[in-house]
Order: sequence, then C-alpha cells, then structure tokens
Amino acid sequence: MQFNWKIGGEAGFGIMTSGLAFAKIATRSGYLIFDYTEYPSLIRGGHNTYEVLVSDEVVKSPKWEIDLLVCLNNDTYKLHSDRLTDKSMLIYDPHVFVPEIGIKIPITFGKIKRDEKIDQMMMNTIAVGASIGILGGDLSIFEEILHQQFDRKGKEVVNFNLKLAKIGYDEALKNNIKPLSILKKKDIIDPQMVITGNEAFALGAMVADCRYYAAYPMTPASTVLSILASWQYKNKMVVRHIEDEISAVNTALGASYAGVRSSVGSSGGGFALMVEGLSYAGIAEIPLVVLLAMRSGPATGMPTWTEQGDLLFAVHAGHGEFPKIVLTPGDPEEMIALTLKAFDLADIYQTPVILITDKFLSESHSSLSKKLEDAALEKHKIDRGKIVNDTKETPYLRYLDTKDGVSPMLIPGKKGTYYQANSYEHIEDSHTTEDLKERVKQVDKRSKKNTTYLKNHFELPKIIGDLNTAEIVFVSFGSMKGPIVDAMKLIKTKSAYIHFTHVYPLAEELVQQIFARCVGKRMILVENNSTAQFGQLLRMQTGIIFKEKLLKYDGRPIWPEEILLYVDDNTRSVVEEKNDTKIKAKVLSEDFRKKEKEIMDKLVAEMSVE
Amino acid sequence: MLNNNYCEIMTELKFDGYAATWCPGCGDWGIRVGIKAALEQLAFDPSQVFLSFDIGCSGNMNDFLNGYATHGLHGRAIPTAIGMKIANHKMTTIVIGGDGGIYGEGGNHFLHACRGNHDITVIVHDNMVYGLTTGQVAPTAGKGYRSKSTPHGIIEVPVNPLALALTQGATFVSQSFAGDARTTIDVIKKAVNHKGFSLVNILQPCVTFNKINTYQYYLKNTYHLEDSHNRSNLGKAVEKSLEVNAGKFPIGVLYQTERPSFHEELEQLDSPLVDRPRFSDFSSFTNEFI
Repeated sequence: MQFNWKIGGEAGFGIMTSGLAFAKIATRSGYLIFDYTEYPSLIRGGHNTYEVLVSDEVVKSPKWEIDLLVCLNNDTYKLHSDRLTDKSMLIYDPHVFVPEIGIKIPITFGKIKRDEKIDQMMMNTIAVGASIGILGGDLSIFEEILHQQFDRKGKEVVNFNLKLAKIGYDEALKNNIKPLSILKKKDIIDPQMVITGNEAFALGAMVADCRYYAAYPMTPASTVLSILASWQYKNKMVVRHIEDEISAVNTALGASYAGVRSSVGSSGGGFALMVEGLSYAGIAEIPLVVLLAMRSGPATGMPTWTEQGDLLFAVHAGHGEFPKIVLTPGDPEEMIALTLKAFDLADIYQTPVILITDKFLSESHSSLSKKLEDAALEKHKIDRGKIVNDTKETPYLRYLDTKDGVSPMLIPGKKGTYYQANSYEHIEDSHTTEDLKERVKQVDKRSKKNTTYLKNHFELPKIIGDLNTAEIVFVSFGSMKGPIVDAMKLIKTKSAYIHFTHVYPLAEELVQQIFARCVGKRMILVENNSTAQFGQLLRMQTGIIFKEKLLKYDGRPIWPEEILLYVDDNTRSVVEEKNDTKIKAKVLSEDFRKKEKEIMDKLVAEMSVE
Repeated sequence: MLNNNYCEIMTELKFDGYAATWCPGCGDWGIRVGIKAALEQLAFDPSQVFLSFDIGCSGNMNDFLNGYATHGLHGRAIPTAIGMKIANHKMTTIVIGGDGGIYGEGGNHFLHACRGNHDITVIVHDNMVYGLTTGQVAPTAGKGYRSKSTPHGIIEVPVNPLALALTQGATFVSQSFAGDARTTIDVIKKAVNHKGFSLVNILQPCVTFNKINTYQYYLKNTYHLEDSHNRSNLGKAVEKSLEVNAGKFPIGVLYQTERPSFHEELEQLDSPLVDRPRFSDFSSFTNEFI
C-alpha cells in the first residue's frame, strides 16, 4: 500500500506543523513515510505545501500522483491539477471553490472559522482531523501530538485544538462516508523516528562528540543550527549563531586546534565565505567537519529549492593544494553513519571533511527505526587517530614527517612544551619556512594522507540491485538515491544503481573495475543539476564517461516517475546509448589527438602566412 | 633550521623564539618586549598561554614569541582566539595583530567580539600603514594619507578603534605607544588580568613606510592619562577616545568595567569544554523524533 497525502495553503497557515503531525500520525499508526515540502522564501503569503507518502514498505522519495489533497485555498487545487486523477480525494471548502475532478469531500472551513471564532492558523488542525476520519485513523494519536505541541501553552489552548481536531474528524464522516483503512492502526513492533537529513546530521554530530558548532543562518542549513542550539544545555555542546560564516569557520578551527571536535554548516553562499578557512585547515592540519546543504544557486538563487549544484565547488574549495574528503549521504540513515565517520576522518587525517546534502535531503523526513539507530549510536566508538593529550618531546614536532602523512597532534595545554598551528609553510617543529626542501617535504607529507585514506577509509559505491543481471544501470550520488531506488521498482527492465557516497578522492582503479562490469549495459547518469557535475568528477578521477544523462535543475527533486518516463521514452535511440566505458575512452583519446593535430596544423599555417 | 634556544627549553621554557626579522627601529620590537615582559612578570610560561597571531609584520611575531599558538588567516585572529578560549577557557588567550587585520579585514569580528565580551586580550599594532605589503594605507590612517594604493590621499576618515571598542561593549579599552615600554608592559598586564574583552591599541611608528607618524610625532602628540581619569565612566572614556580628532593620543587605560565574559555566560561551560567527558545519553534525543 502507498498513499500520498498532501496539504497546501498560504505561507503562515501552519502547513509545516500539520504536515509533520500527519507524518507522525502515520508512523505512530505503524506505517513508514517519506515527506517533502515546498515553500517560497517568504514568511507570509505565497503557497506552502507538505506531502506525506504513507506506505507499508520503505519509501525514499515522493510520489507524483496525489491520493488525498487538502486544499486550504483555491490555489492548492489549481497548482496541483496535473497531479490529480479521478481517484484522487479532495478536501476543500465548497463556499470557496468546487473541484472538477476527483472524489469530493467538502468541509465548510469558512463556516467553522466563523462559528468557532478561530484564525486561519487553526484551520490545518481541522484539516488533519478530517484526514484522519477519512483514512480510518485513530484520532487519539493526533490528540497525543496536540498535547505534546500545546501543553506548555496551557489547558485552554490544548482543549481548543482537541475540539477542532474532533470537528474536522466528524465533519469528514458526517455524510455517512465509510472511512478507508489507510491509517488503520497496526501493532507497533518497531517505533519509527521521523527525521530529516539535517536532523540526522545533528544527531550524528552529537554522538560523534562534536563539542562546538558555529553557523550563520542560511536555508536549507539553518535547522541544524536551531536543533543543536535547543539541545546544547542538555548535551553541553557549545552552539553559536555567529556574526558571519568567516567567523564560524575560524572559531571552529580555533576550537579544533584547542582539542575539541568542531563543525560548521551553511549553504553555498555561506560555504563560499568559509573557503579560505578550509585552506588554512589544510596546511595547518586542523580537523574540521563542514556541512554543505545545497540549494538552487548561483548567488541567492532560489533559497528554498533544491539542487546538487555545488559538488564541484566543494571538491575544489580552498586555494592551494591540500587533502580534503567529500562525502555525500543519500538518506538520513546514511547521514547519521557518514556524520559519525566524518568526525573520525577529520581527526584521523587532520584535514577538512565536507558532508554534502541538499534541500531535498536536508528538509525531507524519512521514517527510521529507532531501535536500530539507538543500537548503532550506542556502539559507536570515537577514533581520534593520532590526536594525543601527552608527549615527552621538546621541541614538539607537530608536523613530523611520517609514512602515512599524518603527524601526532598534541592537544595544547601540556606543560613544558608548545607549538603553532601555522598557516604559513613550516618545518616539522611548526616554525615558518620558505626553504625549498622543507616545502617539498611538507607538501608531500600532506598529500600522503590521500593515499592513506584511499587505502584505509575510502568506501566503494554501494550497488543496489544486481549489477550482473541489470540491463539498465543508474549512477548518481547523494540525495538522488531515494528517487532512483524507488524508480527501480517501477521500471520493468532489470536495473541496478551505483550509489556514490565517498565522492572525493576516488580510488581510480577500484571504481573502474566496477564500471568494467557494466560493459554493454545502458548506463544512465542521474543528477539534480544542469552540468552533470558528478559525471565530470568521475571522469576527472577515473576517466569514465557517460553518454546518457538525466539532469534536472528546476529547483525540484527528480520524481521516480520522471526516471521511469525517461527510461521508457522510445524516442531515445537506446542502442546507440549503450555504454562501453573502456572502448569509449580509447576512441575519445584518438579523437582528441586528431583534433589536437588539426589545431596545431592550422596554427602553423596561420603563422607562416604572417 | 633549529634555534639555539632549544637547548635551554629542555630545562626552562622561554618566550623568546627566533631572532626577529623586523626592520631596525620598528615599533614591533618594543611591543614584543612589552608582551614578553608582561607575561613573564605575571609568571606565565609559554605552555600556559594561547597566542593567536594575525597576518602581517605584527603576526610574524609567531616565530619570535613562543606559546601554544595559531598563525592563521589575515583578519581572523580574533575568531580563532575566541574558538580557542571557548574550547579551553582556563588558558589565557591573547590576539596579536595589526590595524589592517583587526580593524580592516577583521573589523566585523572586532565589533562582535566587543559585544560578546569574550575573555581575550587583543593587542593591536597600530602604525597606520600596511608594512608587509610595502606601505599601503591602513584603516587608522588620517584622511588624505597618501600611499601606493591611495596616490591622491585616502578619502575615508580613520577608524577610531578606541571609540569603536567602547561603544560596542568592550570592557577594557587602553592605548599605549611602542616607544613607551613601561606603559606598554603595565597596560598589557592589566589587560591580561582583566576578565572579559580587553583592547590594547599600541601606536607604533613604521620606520620604513610611514614618514608622518614617527617616534617624534608620537612623543609630541601622546600624553599619559591623568591619575584623576575616571576609568569607570564610559562617557568620559568616549570623550577621551575622540581627542584623536584633534591630533591628541591619550595613553593608558581609558575604560574598565565588569560584565560576565562570554564563556561565563555559557551554562554548559562549568568545566573546560576540552576536559569534560563525552556525553552519552543519546536515546533521550532520538525519542524526540518519534
């Protein structure tokens, strides 16, 4: 069973609160969910939506067709007419408009509003109550949520909300409508968390023993700041809303130098301001975890919409050459696991680690087994690599040349010694140098960390589905995992998905070996940007080239149905698109040499004329 | 490459690092002596202080003054120091930078550090030019100052660091002159002992690039604040800070008041962040998502 519930209305109507309440009603009734919100960069007006896909099985992306649409105004109906069918149910106010298609469930919101003297913010409580009625849910679960939400505001407020929920519930069922059994309560064996990518990062950061987080609010990274800020008095993390992103990264580097795990987060614009700091972390070898939550750019772009447009920027962020690790989790579960790993990697390699998410992953909720996550978090052990509290050495060789490129790092404070974190090139004892041999030694030392990482901590892409039997192979990274995995269930042809989470640096030969298994298969690169940035990165690091690319960059994620449409599109000459990476690489290099010669000949000819 | 001082360090840590590379006669020499003497007189050794150096001639002191130090990015010595202090608030934390880094590139950090009353001492080498990049105008230079980057003279009026600090909430604001070692030592000691944000703006001749604000100029235009100066009166301190408009530079502590410092206001910092045990009660947080 899959059921797609969606609510829409003016920004400021409380759409987000009621959407999350509905998602939790579903999980507390024993179902799994995926939700997705759209909202403009406004506080009032505009149109906000929240859709929750309820299912018996794991769901990882939104569904195109809407099964029940709650229209808090006429816009909701108009804006979604292309996603409705004859079987779609519509909750609407008959005094405002009457829909032309779908199953009509009129609720006289306006009349209730006048009768009960309530403001627009409360209409969504009625709407959720009505939805529960129609879908055969248990109203007491909603009542419990309302208690949790409003108890601190006093009895009167709670009771009033409870009353509105009941009005909605009764109103929906008043014309002898037989409720469906979509939300029929099941026994809960495995309680589900309802968690976004950003919340997963916050949770991971806490468990990883991150003790300092600094940020300047920027959508879609801001919720990390607010969640961690609300937790800090209980878990004793220091969380700061700071004057700017430059200060965020530099205070974090100061704290990290002083021995505490530190992190910063922002979206593209704020991340751009942090970039000089990454370079400092690189040469001074200071651990740092950076969360980059992408949105549609460039510049201010479309602040509340999604895009995977900053991948190459992140990979290349920072002037000069220094090791850097870039990770791209695909869902909240991977976000937790990779956040834990990111903090270890930052310490082990004493260099910046960038975790990339986007609005789609950052703000969409997934259900996640609490039992499994609790167990995973409980057993997580911190690995700080060569960071130590004590030394007998004086002078302390902070930048000691080692085989693996990683030097011991003393937490400052030890009596009887000292050292610097130096942004200038330095000798082993951390003093500044411009000596050519020392320069080369330190550059080589730092770059050895790349080799060590590829050997010890790099992870190959996850292969979802059976690569041997698959005729179609999707390739992508990060948040496109959900839509691709869900699309594979819709596609009749056998397909597999190569999902990259450790995108930089890549182990060239190991990755090539995976692609060597794909000879003769239809390879499709899927990305939420316009320039196939992951394709470029893969080509840069491994020489692998894609002919077929499914790219989307309108600010919306890719729907599984869009992938299905793409795959089934008969106008595409599929045979020609079949990809043999090795052969192709050869052909291209010959081609390149030929072109190169042509250009040279032309140049020589032009010169001789002069 | 190794410095001779290392044989001594085996027994006793010294603040003296490498021999300095500043121009002969540069005010930085005097400032370094001032910082070193102040720290020695307060009985610190290099393993007991955090030093955050900015970039420039002043920041190059990183190799000439020992301590647990960062030599980070231009303009960012204040945020780096704030991070160090929050992570381990038991360490005395000192920022050493120039007028360009602290008031220009890092001006935003400066005013917010004043607001936050972070418990750090910011020592600014104020010589009104950019020495290391060969003499371009600094934000504290007088209007009309001609330099390589302002051939017809700078249009902007100078930043007033003392007035800026006072009005943005700094709890200790002082000024010294690099040619006046006794006052420099005395003021730095008071600043380091002060709980909260302390500014020591040190007027410093750049003998190579600034031919106007020379030792003679400062000897003529600085004066020691009278004993009768009321340090706790913000209004009077602001008045003093504005005397620069008339070419007068008061030397000494203009203002000092008490306000809880930033780390004291963080209730989670009952012990230094770096020392506390790892937090481990995670399930109460995962419950929030049910």
